[in-house]
Amino acid sequence: MSIDVPAVLPRLCIISSGNDPDGSGLLIRRQIELLRPSLPCLMQIREKHLDASTLFRLSLTLKAAATGKNVLIILNERADIAAAAALDGVHMRESSYPPDRLRSFTGRMLIGKSVHSAESALNAAQSGVDYLIFGPVFDTPSKRQYGKPQGLDKLGEVCGAVSIPVLAIGGITPENTPRCLSEGAYGIAALSLFSDTSRFPGLLTTFEKILYS
Amino acid sequence: MIPSLPFLCFITDESHSPVDLAGKALEGGAAMIQLRHKSANGDQLYQWAIAIQALCRKHKAIFIVNDRVDIALAAGADGVHLGQQDLPAAAARKLLGKGRIMGISVSSPQEALAAEKNGADYIGFGHIFPTGSKAKTNDPVGPESIADVRAAIKIPIIAIGGISGKNALLPINAGASGIAVISAVSRADDPKKAARQLVELLQTNYEHCR
Repeated sequence: MSIDVPAVLPRLCIISSGNDPDGSGLLIRRQIELLRPSLPCLMQIREKHLDASTLFRLSLTLKAAATGKNVLIILNERADIAAAAALDGVHMRESSYPPDRLRSFTGRMLIGKSVHSAESALNAAQSGVDYLIFGPVFDTPSKRQYGKPQGLDKLGEVCGAVSIPVLAIGGITPENTPRCLSEGAYGIAALSLFSDTSRFPGLLTTFEKILYS
Repeated sequence: MIPSLPFLCFITDESHSPVDLAGKALEGGAAMIQLRHKSANGDQLYQWAIAIQALCRKHKAIFIVNDRVDIALAAGADGVHLGQQDLPAAAARKLLGKGRIMGISVSSPQEALAAEKNGADYIGFGHIFPTGSKAKTNDPVGPESIADVRAAIKIPIIAIGGISGKNALLPINAGASGIAVISAVSRADDPKKAARQLVELLQTNYEHCR
């Protein structure tokens, strides 16, 4: 199936660690600083423990940090906060409400959604989301609570079922990324892989080669 | 849109089925329902919101969603209620437009004034009496402090915190337009009857005042 891609959707998605102690966004700001113009990036803020006022302030801080950078800032779940802070998009959990209810107040913001099955992917695509994140494809400590990894075959099934871009998540490395792309993935998403900022510049170089050549 | 008679707002509690309880509160005469559930996921909140909104329409009551402006808009609720740790009032107002109700929790005349300036349609003021429904670190403000808030702002005051049939008239007599309760209805043996008794108490009092 041909892929219908929003004009600027990056192939790399970095998700925040989920343990920002106070909403200062220290790690995310450092990651944004290290990004380079040649590698577009989706940066998803996913800090479920922070209250709405802290998330709003963090969103404004990161939006300012992203100015002039080739990065789109996306907030997990809270479309209201994303819209209020004029972020680039919102990422809905699989257990969230129907995304088509969002368009009235999110305007042209990107809407992404996490899915864990082909059926759920199809439903999400029909409800008008712009991209999907599917996983966990490989084994990863942070996702073991959700059961066994889904594997490359399931990834291929999901990519084949929908015409919107699918990012693979869960145990992603530079080594296994080409196999995800072969299954039809548009790009990849990762969290802990990018949490060590000393390895970050090297990883960006590697992913730029894999994703954009 | 806020009722002119002293009214009852029922806030759903964390542990019970919010739709059932909201239905009982409405049958008992509650004029406003606030869906408040901090641990439910987005889909669950949305489904509850749709169901409670339909009940509120049937009873000609106001439906408010706590904290989640997105859920309120997605479900077509009448408005939102925001605490001091939620989305700032001015930012929320932009999303809500002029047509929807925005309530803000405050605990001082200063916060009440700021809420009014930032576009609040009403304030929730408290906690008036000691309460076990929400973890509180500060002392109750007491019903007499409502007069100071009443003098500071023009928008309606809904008194909250530890209100029951025993003390519900005190905040109304001190200038509140309504009272908000959680456990006085949710933990009653008969929630509908508990709501009805509160409403009757408030409105009888109103007749006395005239």
